[in-house]
Amino acid sequence: MHAIQQQYWAVRDYLSPVLKESKFKEHGRITPEEFVAAGDFLSYKFPVWTWERGDASKARDYLPTDKQYLVTRGVPCLRRATSLAYTDADEDAERLLNFGDSSDGAADEWVETHAGRKPTVDSAANPGEIDDIPDLDGDQELASAIGNVSISSTTGATVGETPDLDDIPDMEEEGLEEGEDEATAVPKSVTSGAVIDVSQIEVAKGNLLQVRTYDVMITYDKYYQTPRIWLIGYDENRTPLTPSQIFQDVSADHALKTVTIEAFPQSATLQAASVHPCKHASVMKKVIERMNVGVVEEQLAARKKEGKEGKKRWGFGRKSGKDDKNASAGGEEEEIEGMRVDFYLVVFLKFIASIVPTIEVDSTTAF
Amino acid sequence: MPVVQFNPFASLVQPAFWHELTRLKVDVLRLSDDELTLAGSYSVGRSIRDRETGQDVALGCNLSLGADAFDKTPTVPALSVSARGVFKNFNTIDEFKAADKAALFNTVADEMWTSIIDHKDTSKLNRFLLITFADLKKYQYYYWFAFPAFVAKPSWEIADNWKAAEEHLSADQLTSVFNALHADTKPYFIVKLTDGAAQLHTINQADTLLTGSDSQSIIIGFLDPSASPENPGWPLRNLLAYLLALYPSHTTFLRVLCWRDSEIPSPGKSWKSRFGVVSHPAGNDAASKPTALGWERHPTTNKLSARMADLAPMMDPTRLADQAV
Repeated sequence: MHAIQQQYWAVRDYLSPVLKESKFKEHGRITPEEFVAAGDFLSYKFPVWTWERGDASKARDYLPTDKQYLVTRGVPCLRRATSLAYTDADEDAERLLNFGDSSDGAADEWVETHAGRKPTVDSAANPGEIDDIPDLDGDQELASAIGNVSISSTTGATVGETPDLDDIPDMEEEGLEEGEDEATAVPKSVTSGAVIDVSQIEVAKGNLLQVRTYDVMITYDKYYQTPRIWLIGYDENRTPLTPSQIFQDVSADHALKTVTIEAFPQSATLQAASVHPCKHASVMKKVIERMNVGVVEEQLAARKKEGKEGKKRWGFGRKSGKDDKNASAGGEEEEIEGMRVDFYLVVFLKFIASIVPTIEVDSTTAF
Repeated sequence: MPVVQFNPFASLVQPAFWHELTRLKVDVLRLSDDELTLAGSYSVGRSIRDRETGQDVALGCNLSLGADAFDKTPTVPALSVSARGVFKNFNTIDEFKAADKAALFNTVADEMWTSIIDHKDTSKLNRFLLITFADLKKYQYYYWFAFPAFVAKPSWEIADNWKAAEEHLSADQLTSVFNALHADTKPYFIVKLTDGAAQLHTINQADTLLTGSDSQSIIIGFLDPSASPENPGWPLRNLLAYLLALYPSHTTFLRVLCWRDSEIPSPGKSWKSRFGVVSHPAGNDAASKPTALGWERHPTTNKLSARMADLAPMMDPTRLADQAV
């Protein structure tokens, strides 16, 4: 059933036309050219992001061959999203975003959680933290007992598929290397200095930190005309995460609803977790509108300060239709451009960060 | 003086690599178990500030393999270097278990040593070995990495512990090292300090640089995948073995720069690179081949054993269908 659905999506994606006209401020969608421009800006500003070619047989002809998708590897994820206790105090942090015509009452709504989450959270205020991680310790013990076989028993879907212990051979080798090597660093139990090592975290059971890392990919979704985000996770032992483990890092409002495991479009076989893009355009429109007001105000203020002498161009972004209107209104207004499309992916990452609050995808805090 | 302890490499295999191996095994290799060449890569060590405790958490000292590992010319991201490896896949689990692992390991180590002694070649210093058995029906992959490193006897010692590089190099000097590395990332290099700047040279020029009159301004540098403040990464170990073998009279004091900065720090932040002066008593029989070690330990048991990646939850069509909505 799932396979048929994926076939259907592939055909739909193939048939849908490539968006030609730039309308990112009007409805939050972008053209492939704008995706490339925004991606170039993102990878220039934040070199952790790089362009990838992907599988040649899956290349999209509306994107340059060497710029098929963006990737950043080893994004740390220190805590599980499920461990972010959701208390009454956090309710203010929840924002309901409305889409579509609010007049007809049938507007879609999107819950943005952790919107106002402070950089530091008083752990005493979150007493439920430990209880909220289901079965994690049990898994851990079992996993180490049978030689780190990753099993996923946190959801009902995979219960009963515990591997047969006899199947996993004991492969410890004796006599391969003699004794301990004094020059090999071993994880120390006592930390000295401010930096702690990942390996110490897993040793200390009481510690809530379990550092996972994620490879994050951004592709362009032709049907929804928005970027789309993909996640491949690793646990602290660098073993690939199972789908149910990945869902622990997705905020509860979005896990299993908007985040699903699907075939990664730039590879023949790879599967990855993805945030479904059906709401991206409308959310992006909202966010861009809000930010655009701020940007325009800022630019107006800056321009007033500069006075007449300041004939400085505000960047090199393409002009939108709004600019042309402004231009006809008066020569000076021409310079007020608002937010450029180059910023699209920077904003997009901030939006994604609200869905996966503990994965540090948003390295763009400078903005 | 404390012994220098190196942070061993930790292998990180991207699922895309297992997918590529599966494709290769089914379509190209079939039953062949010949050795192949692999290309992995490692980057500068990273640490992350925990937003809730304010602590810096050092991420692992990773060497990663991606989908392009079997390519002849893989692309490496910025400030990463490629490391070549020997790959051997076995057809059955019994062959995998019975394989003469010591012999495989020694072959790689011998090749590394020969390249040092005969060719003064640094390109093989970060060689690795990967043996695998792929259970394609169950989507399970047994694998074991080895990162051979030569053991120095007696061990290298460090006089005054590892310090922030900023204490010994000026911001201008660090910036010029960064720019040179950004333009052309090298796994190993020699920094020659001049007033307010630094020049980067290849290790091959150690001959003239180490013996030169101004040896005080010479620093041995390497791209450090470790982020732990006390421990430099594994690649330094073979670099020191290389220098000890070829220039035994200059190893009484070596100034070492562990390069860990992937970007120029923003104002108010400090550089992450480390600096230290290591020493080794001169005059031992350097030309004989030292012993080598470096099998990766199992991350949970810390024993010398192979490990397994179970990709069934992400590859098995029936399991995927189960969780699809």
